Amino acid sequence: MENIITAEHITKDFTKHRALDDVSIAVPRGKVYGLLGPNGAGKTTLIRIINHITAPDSGIVTFDGHTLTADDVVRIGYLPEERGLYKKMKVGEQALFFARLKGLKRREAEASLRQWFERLDISEWWDKKVEELSKGMAQKVQFIVTVLHKPSLLIFDEPFSGFDPINAGILKHEILKLRDEGATVIFSTHNMASVEELCDEITLINRSRNILSGPVREIRERFSDNRYEICFAGAPDALSNTGFDVKLGGINPEGFATATVSLPDASAVRPFLAAANQEVAINSFRCLLPSMDDIFVSAVNASNQSQPEEQ
Amino acid sequence: MKSGLSIVIMREYLERVKRKSFIISTLVVPLLMIAMMFAPALIMLFSESESKTVAVIDETGILAARLKSNDEIKFVFTGDESIDEARTNDGYDAILVLGSKAIEKPQDAVILYSHGSLTMVSDSYISGQVCDAIEDVRLKAYNIENLEKILREVKVDITMPIIDIDKEEDTATSSVLSYILALVMDMMLYMFILIYGQMVMTSIIEEKTNRVLELVVSSVKPQWLMLGKIIGVGLVAITQILIWTGILGLCSSFALPMMAAMPEAATEPEFAGIIAQLSDVGFIISLAVYMLLFFIGGYLFYSAIFAAIGSAVDNIQDASQLTSIATMPVIIGIIASMSVINNPTSDMAFWLSVIPFTSPMTMMSRLPFGVPAWEIIVSLVVLYISFMLLIWVCAKIYRVGIFMYGKKPTLVEIIRWARYK
Repeated sequence: MENIITAEHITKDFTKHRALDDVSIAVPRGKVYGLLGPNGAGKTTLIRIINHITAPDSGIVTFDGHTLTADDVVRIGYLPEERGLYKKMKVGEQALFFARLKGLKRREAEASLRQWFERLDISEWWDKKVEELSKGMAQKVQFIVTVLHKPSLLIFDEPFSGFDPINAGILKHEILKLRDEGATVIFSTHNMASVEELCDEITLINRSRNILSGPVREIRERFSDNRYEICFAGAPDALSNTGFDVKLGGINPEGFATATVSLPDASAVRPFLAAANQEVAINSFRCLLPSMDDIFVSAVNASNQSQPEEQ
Repeated sequence: MKSGLSIVIMREYLERVKRKSFIISTLVVPLLMIAMMFAPALIMLFSESESKTVAVIDETGILAARLKSNDEIKFVFTGDESIDEARTNDGYDAILVLGSKAIEKPQDAVILYSHGSLTMVSDSYISGQVCDAIEDVRLKAYNIENLEKILREVKVDITMPIIDIDKEEDTATSSVLSYILALVMDMMLYMFILIYGQMVMTSIIEEKTNRVLELVVSSVKPQWLMLGKIIGVGLVAITQILIWTGILGLCSSFALPMMAAMPEAATEPEFAGIIAQLSDVGFIISLAVYMLLFFIGGYLFYSAIFAAIGSAVDNIQDASQLTSIATMPVIIGIIASMSVINNPTSDMAFWLSVIPFTSPMTMMSRLPFGVPAWEIIVSLVVLYISFMLLIWVCAKIYRVGIFMYGKKPTLVEIIRWARYK
């Protein structure tokens, strides 16, 4: 089974608006899958449908090849965007409560909880009440609760909000480690830098529709505007003689001059290199891929223009 | 997923039972109740210790010997002491002067002087004694033969036991006890529906304000979560009731034999009835079972309503308006059951005990007077079936309502959510 979870032609209406309109996604096993989109696009609704919290009006969700049922929920770990803990309960007791709701036996739950608390360096908080915890601490507890029962599918909604860079780094590391151990991760965020860093595939949802899907690398290449960076030794002006659209950059740390060149299409790479080779000593040449930030903005804008706001 | 239900129940239960407020209220309330039970007895005990000494100046020479002292009034015969001498004597609380014409014209000849005013009880006791003495002397004056014997044979003292003819065995019941029992149970039910029903509601709202809700619902179905809360909080209520009845039962098991042994028990008909009814173990057990069933049913029914309110709103402030709508039928039920107490077999009583909104309260006030078995069964069946229907509807409202952050719903919208697929 290649895809651990698929959603086919999902539509969901709320009283006054359509939250999801014929959205399909397929999440390959063992990958980190990004779910992107502006606020209110319908990401959280889709995640809730995948989690069996709300039901779609039409469309099918399959999990591991069969239609998603309530029993599959124990194999999913979900960290919601709206997350909190019972304030009056002790941290350890509370973690145990959630672990047992996910079907773990008390004893095994406690053993692996202790391990995780050790790993994330919050052991001394076990007997403290939640109201004494800082926001970051509470988020660590929530993260542990999400992953503790070793689910085969992990869903994180904005996992890094509220974390300082050091703890966000620790979390990223743990997420990648879980993927390497075989878990599939769905990951919803506005943070495009972390998408480039973590995601293998993405889906971009805008105004309740899926407007862009695919592997990150492929998408970036698809959105590439044929800009290349060249590093070289020799007279900077010399490149202007090639007859291509060259913008000179600075000197890079290794002491080479840099320049970016915009080519009409990919077939122009060879003629440009041939021409440049005549003028300067080329040190390196690489394709400049657009950032996910740029892709996000241009894709969303393009879709908004082609599909003006209803009402 | 069913195991999730028991985990939710355990959490709701333990979280509340471990709270200090629960422990304190559980221990303090029965102490207060006991204090209230014993306060009148204590007050009597203290007032009894103050017996009054009444000096009697008897100018007739025959009346004084016929006055009988009791615990509160002690008659002392002064002999030759004059009124003025007796007045200055600090040992006397009052002076009773029986003039020489006391037998013929007591209206003019009998006077009571006292320091301050005497209590009503002692006043009527003294005048009663004087009247008895004068009547006695007057009767004797007719020189009737065997007077003492005749008087003894004429004397009537009614002790009237009330027999419930609807019961197979003829057992003495006490309408006063039934009345008190009904009143107490109604008040308890009212208290528990309000306190524990709203506890279910706040527990749901708290999960929303803590944002913990979505974490919970991703592990356990909303229906089970809600049911778990209702049962968990209900178990807290039952725990509290059990502790209370345990403490009160322990106290009354000491108090009842003592009360039965008191001499008044034999003479006061109501009192004897109370003792008889309380000692009728079979009646007490069946009454307790029915009352418990209605109590639980009433709690389940109303807490499901409160749960729905909790899931429909965001915060306590928004809930208050809907809460008052939900408490209205409880109050109507209480008021209705007050009138039902006076007429437990009327048509209104019957219909009020079929409608689930009022049946728990109404039945509480009817049960102690005895209700036909089929009526109890009909009432219970209707109550529990409507609870199950209600929880099914509420679970739907809950499923939709829990994700409606930041929006105050109208009653129309809530009804639409209930019909939402």
